[in-house]
Amino acid sequence: MGSRWQATLRRGLRLAAVVLALGLPLRADTQAATSSEPSEQPIDLVHVASVVGPAQGPRLTAGALEAEAQRVGALLRCPVCQGLSVADSPSTMATNMRQQVRDMVAAGFVEEQVLAYFEASYGEFVRLQPPLRGVNWLVWLAPLLGLLAGGAIVFFVLRGPRGGAQTPVGPGPVGSQGSVTAPVSHTAAPDTAVEADALPDDAELARLVLRIREIAYGWPGGVRPRAKEQA
Amino acid sequence: MNRRVLVAGLAVTLPLVALLVVSLGRDPHRMDAPLVGRPAPPFALRPAGGGQPVTLESLRGRPVLVNFWATWCVPCFQEHPVLTAGSRRYPDVAFLGVVYEDEEPRVQRYLREQGGAYPSLMDDGGKTAIAYGVYGVPETYAIAPDGTIVDKHTGPLTDGRLRALVDKARIGAMVGQGSQ
Amino acid sequence: MAGWAWTRRLAYVYAASMIAANLLMVYALLARDFSVSYVAHVGSRAVPNWVAVVSLWSSLEGSILFWGLVLGLYIGGATYTNRDRHPEYMPWATGVWLACAAFFSFLVAGPAQPFLTIPSPPTDGPGPNPLLQNHLLMVIHPPLLYAGYVGMTIPFGLAAAALLTGRLGHDFLRPLRTWLMLPWAFLTVAIVLGGWWAYEVLGWGGYWAWDPVENASFLPWLTATAAFHSALLMERKGVLKGWTVTLILATFLLTILGTFMTRSGVFNSVHSFTQSAIGPTILVFLAAATLFCVGLLATRVDRLAPEGGLEPSVSRDTAFLLNNLLFVLLTFTVLVGTVFPLVVEATRGTQMSVGRPYFDRMAVPIGVALLFLMGIGPALPWGRASRVQMRQALLPPLAAAGVFTALGLLAGVRHPWTLVALFCGGYTAQVTLGELWLPVARRMRAHGEGLGAAVSGVQGRARRRVAGYLVHAGAVLALVAVAVSSTEGITTEVQVARGEAVTLGPYTLTFQGVDQLSEPHREAVVANVAVRRGDRDLGLLQPRMNYYASQREPIGTPAVRSSLRHDLYLSVLNIDPEGRSIGLHAMINPMVVWLWIATLVMGLGGLLGLLPSRRVHAAAALAAPPAGEGLEAAR
Repeated sequence: MGSRWQATLRRGLRLAAVVLALGLPLRADTQAATSSEPSEQPIDLVHVASVVGPAQGPRLTAGALEAEAQRVGALLRCPVCQGLSVADSPSTMATNMRQQVRDMVAAGFVEEQVLAYFEASYGEFVRLQPPLRGVNWLVWLAPLLGLLAGGAIVFFVLRGPRGGAQTPVGPGPVGSQGSVTAPVSHTAAPDTAVEADALPDDAELARLVLRIREIAYGWPGGVRPRAKEQA
Repeated sequence: MNRRVLVAGLAVTLPLVALLVVSLGRDPHRMDAPLVGRPAPPFALRPAGGGQPVTLESLRGRPVLVNFWATWCVPCFQEHPVLTAGSRRYPDVAFLGVVYEDEEPRVQRYLREQGGAYPSLMDDGGKTAIAYGVYGVPETYAIAPDGTIVDKHTGPLTDGRLRALVDKARIGAMVGQGSQ
Repeated sequence: MAGWAWTRRLAYVYAASMIAANLLMVYALLARDFSVSYVAHVGSRAVPNWVAVVSLWSSLEGSILFWGLVLGLYIGGATYTNRDRHPEYMPWATGVWLACAAFFSFLVAGPAQPFLTIPSPPTDGPGPNPLLQNHLLMVIHPPLLYAGYVGMTIPFGLAAAALLTGRLGHDFLRPLRTWLMLPWAFLTVAIVLGGWWAYEVLGWGGYWAWDPVENASFLPWLTATAAFHSALLMERKGVLKGWTVTLILATFLLTILGTFMTRSGVFNSVHSFTQSAIGPTILVFLAAATLFCVGLLATRVDRLAPEGGLEPSVSRDTAFLLNNLLFVLLTFTVLVGTVFPLVVEATRGTQMSVGRPYFDRMAVPIGVALLFLMGIGPALPWGRASRVQMRQALLPPLAAAGVFTALGLLAGVRHPWTLVALFCGGYTAQVTLGELWLPVARRMRAHGEGLGAAVSGVQGRARRRVAGYLVHAGAVLALVAVAVSSTEGITTEVQVARGEAVTLGPYTLTFQGVDQLSEPHREAVVANVAVRRGDRDLGLLQPRMNYYASQREPIGTPAVRSSLRHDLYLSVLNIDPEGRSIGLHAMINPMVVWLWIATLVMGLGGLLGLLPSRRVHAAAALAAPPAGEGLEAAR
């Protein structure tokens, strides 16, 4: 297998140590490893069934088998890698696990059974997708709750504050009496108070300001639309 | 003081910070041992060097100690003498080695040099390791005479720890967690 | 004013001291001076010089020192460019910056001290992690990442200054935007470069695994992007000042959270530095900074009075709000998913994982929604749109949407989300390209200019706008590329004997044998795989297995043959040492190159937006084309 080089190095060092201690001549290790092709153990279907129950799906072959094995492999975490799925990891453990998945799928076990088998050995850790039980519900519901909460906040921001609001009352907010000139903000320092919608005295400048407001804000005629005009 | 902002801000940030404080010192690589208290998965593996396959079934009625190891693993090398001595000291306990991700000729050479007092089995394809939830070596399982896993030890064994495992295996099925 | 002058000097002194310290460390690394503790930790005589320099940021203590360098450069630069401007904000901002700098200096001086003297120095060291020696990207990715990450401290200081002084006027928006955009551009490129590095080096054929540390870099990017859009709305309407500031504060806090996640050893990640005592210290800083931010917001946010209001309408304003909603939702989702295993362990005591399948499932709908919003927003006018305006703006891009989807179907795309992404991508592409092209076309017509002059004129006059749409164009390309490459690839894993061939898609791959390679820091076995397509010989691909002295499992390097259409990706799972057979993992990943190109476009757009452009006379602006386009704020 792959790690011959370090093993050779380590073996050589150990041999050298032994030899030096005994004063025997070094015997060059020229033996090529006659690694007989390891006969892989077939999976023990009886044991697997005892853990996850009888196979619930059809036996798959060829293309369908590979596709399903790949799909299920992507849901299993390789225990020795950092966060990679069994389908993605190049490590030996992951390769063995992929073979196990393939064998189980070929024997007709469905995705949930395959995941349950590995969970029985390794714990919930080995599932990349949190199963729906107990406190795990939180992680599945959190995005939805976030969306609802966020949506509510956006809704309230758009609606604008209604009387005695916490958020600073800016000049002429929508939903108030819709006056063109509005009270000065009562929480801000004086130099930040802005009188909205006020026009300069010069007529030409006022015309230009109205035109700018029309272009920039889409206000018809440059005048802020009143609350009840909203469609 | 904008109370709404204060409450919202604290509500969002305090739980997160508290969670991180509580999680300090957590070992992200520690894994649960859910098999403790469950029946030991059966296996039928051939010993390194040849011979008839050894099954867990055949050892029913005796306490068993299964040690997953490899020649390339330094802590396994450290615990090897402990296990060898232990197999002699506790003859009623069946000691078994299961080789993890290794090659037979290397294993044979290792056992010749270091001495092997009990059979080491070749787990080709790693299915037994998967069944036992092994994710590193060395890992040792203590199995009671009725076939239940009573304890799991991750990491190299010391004499003391080995003694504890043997005691548990002898007593029988005990409710307990895996230990480091 | 004397106080401000001294603050500036201190900022420059900090920058100078960080530069000096880092130069010293680089010198020690190059000289292989093993009496310095950090060099003894990561140095090695066996590695080439570029690896020795790169070791500066490869391990924890050095990375903190490097953090200080980047922070020093940023603080020095930001202080210098603003030395004569915004006198009411700058002292506060610089104070906040230097407070952060003080913390990181404390780390360097204390818990993460890299300059300790070793009484009896070893003759050689172990060298940095082999994974970090595998690729040249290790030289580029961390500095860019730090430039993005650390740089978020600058807008943080500016935002804090706005809160501390109790105002956020139009004049201050410019430095805020600039100093948010600069780190953002770096961070964007850095995140994708990290993905490219994973793709080229790790061998599993993907570029994003939702690893906790990857998420840590992604979270501040999300809030920074949201902050940027919020700032745009603030500039237009004078609203959402408090919210924009909150987002910028959150971005900084997320960078500190990220650095905690990477360095505390609490999270299971391939990027984690080894566990150390530095975690609790960073956590204390995070807690203090968080309380500071919350307190500051609670007491001061009311001072930032809005100068306008928002109304519920179908308009670009609402699109901006939805943009913020979606970005913050994605941030929240990724954050919850990343820390959830900690929650479970704290409550139930068991280990569990929240991995890629979960994040993909959550991120895809949000990403597609954002893709669609990127098209709808710019199409709509500011302020309330009439029905006619809406129809004119929103309907035409459906044409490109249809075309994209049809092309996808023709190409064999069947995955539902990918088709939706193609639809939205086409829609947004038409809007974005339209926004880029129409001003040019109008100018060519109105002034009779040629294409080049028109483009130059438009980007000179409305540079920020062009830059923004350029970034959007890149983002569309990136999102579509991600959608297609994640779902439409094919893969096979097979044991191949020498001389044997295997087919994958249009390719025939023949394993021809292995070569041995000996490099100073590693041994390698290279597999030669001949690639043919039909009857065309496309040469050799050479995936390899690298063996390092300090590791048991070898680390493979994949071989990738890229083209615009797809990548042929080969990696070796195992090699029989005599070269009689290999375990080959072969993949065809479509449209991956487009992701890298898109990132380049986004980065360039970001940098373009940073360049100052000419001020335009107000009268010329008023004479501009009719309503529906909005007033182009030329700055």
